[in-house]
Amino acid sequence: MTDLIEITLGIMTAMGGFVDVSELVFTAQAGARFLYALIWVIVLGTLIITVFGEMSGRVAAISKQPLFNLMRQRLGLQFGLLVLVAASLVNLITCAAEIGGLGIILHLGLGLPYRLATSLATLALILVVWLLPFKAIERSFGLLGLFMISFIAAAAAVHPPWNEVVTGLIPNLPAHISGHELVTYAYFIVAIISAVVFPYETYFYSAGAIEEHWSRKDLAVNRLTTIVGFSLGSLLAISILINAAVLFAPRHIDPQLVGSSAMQVAIPFGKIGLAFALLGMFFAIAGAAIETCLCVAYGPCQFFGWKWGRYVRPSESPRFTLIWLGSFALANLIVLTGIEPLTLVEYVVVSAILVIPFSYLPLLLVANDRKYMGEHVNGKLANVLGLGSFAIVVVAAIAALPLYFLTSGGQQ
Amino acid sequence: MRPDGPLKLAGEVRDLQIVDADGVHCGIADDLEFEGEPGRPLRVRSILVGPGACERRLSGWLAALVRRIFGDSVVRVPWNEVKHITGRITLKRSGTVYGLLKTEERFAAFVKRIPFA
Repeated sequence: MTDLIEITLGIMTAMGGFVDVSELVFTAQAGARFLYALIWVIVLGTLIITVFGEMSGRVAAISKQPLFNLMRQRLGLQFGLLVLVAASLVNLITCAAEIGGLGIILHLGLGLPYRLATSLATLALILVVWLLPFKAIERSFGLLGLFMISFIAAAAAVHPPWNEVVTGLIPNLPAHISGHELVTYAYFIVAIISAVVFPYETYFYSAGAIEEHWSRKDLAVNRLTTIVGFSLGSLLAISILINAAVLFAPRHIDPQLVGSSAMQVAIPFGKIGLAFALLGMFFAIAGAAIETCLCVAYGPCQFFGWKWGRYVRPSESPRFTLIWLGSFALANLIVLTGIEPLTLVEYVVVSAILVIPFSYLPLLLVANDRKYMGEHVNGKLANVLGLGSFAIVVVAAIAALPLYFLTSGGQQ
Repeated sequence: MRPDGPLKLAGEVRDLQIVDADGVHCGIADDLEFEGEPGRPLRVRSILVGPGACERRLSGWLAALVRRIFGDSVVRVPWNEVKHITGRITLKRSGTVYGLLKTEERFAAFVKRIPFA
């Protein structure tokens, strides 16, 4: 019974923690601009994150090697070091974008000035990570993020044309699309893949598996958590897109602000809906801010073999502690410069997709190494899915920068 | 993998996480030191840990940067102190015995001054 509760909690946590500020912005914009035509990209992104999430949990359980150590081992010290720096920067900017998102929600919900709101949010997150046991933080933020289910309820309430929703599940091009819109459509494909497949999710998942001393007996739970948890999470992202297509597209609203997403639930359900949406967004984004900030600290600690861990007291992994403290402060400083959260989100999705292939290649190599993985080495299906997913993220990474500049970050 | 068996040193030992007998993370095997002479088998003498060992494997500017930020200290862990090698290298005794935890202890002393650490 206890196992069943643990598995359920794990799945619910994965679901509640699936959506972050970038997904909120890009899936809403995708729905408002291209109606249901990009739903298949969310499904594809979910498949990719599930494949690599499962692989990272399995590698952590069997070989006990954290991801940044694998990077160093498989990419070489020099190149691995460059990837570490790039990945840490991406995680830091992602954390800044999440803190910016929290600032907007607090501004909308409580009327606090934006800069004061981001600083208070940062301070609150630092206190939470410093004082509370990590399991409690992970579970509470993940579960409170389930207020986001209100977006699924809203999607049912706004009566979308379900036949078009189902058609959107299949890769397609929107009808009567101009050449320039086609480029923007391609940019959104890359941006959504990047937002769904964010590398910090895999770093975080793998680190958790090692710290919880996963072993062979946890492989089934690993598979179940990634497949069911991420699939349910993707339902949230799809709902945000559907709501935007029904509510924003006919009114020609381009939901560039994080706050506009809250209106998706407020329109069908009124004030209660707005409160649910803001609460769900707050906890989902706050959870993502904590995860990204801790990932900045995982990087150098795992790469150089220092003590790390969120399940031990701060003084037991001192360098890890000082790095995450500094990262929260730096992320808030980035926000305080006055840079727009939307601009940060755009930087994040473009830079994250560039790092993703170098994060997943070492994983794929170790998962295929029988010396480390024994009988749990990748099977044929895992390899087909793994190589296919890897090929997609490589193509997306190559296309990201040209598409970003051609479309001015999707604005044209 | 066994420490006294044949090993692909560059691929299978270098860059692995080192943990001590208590399971504490003690750094990475940054490089290896060998002993031997012509006509005799080459043997590993020690594992080198620290920025000084790491820096030698990096090219110009990156090596200079690592030296500037982290210094050039190196700790030598005798090869016969290796208990076993899996996805990580496990030592026979505590990392303190080999001097692997000095920097960590310095930082810990600082963090402990913060309330509720």
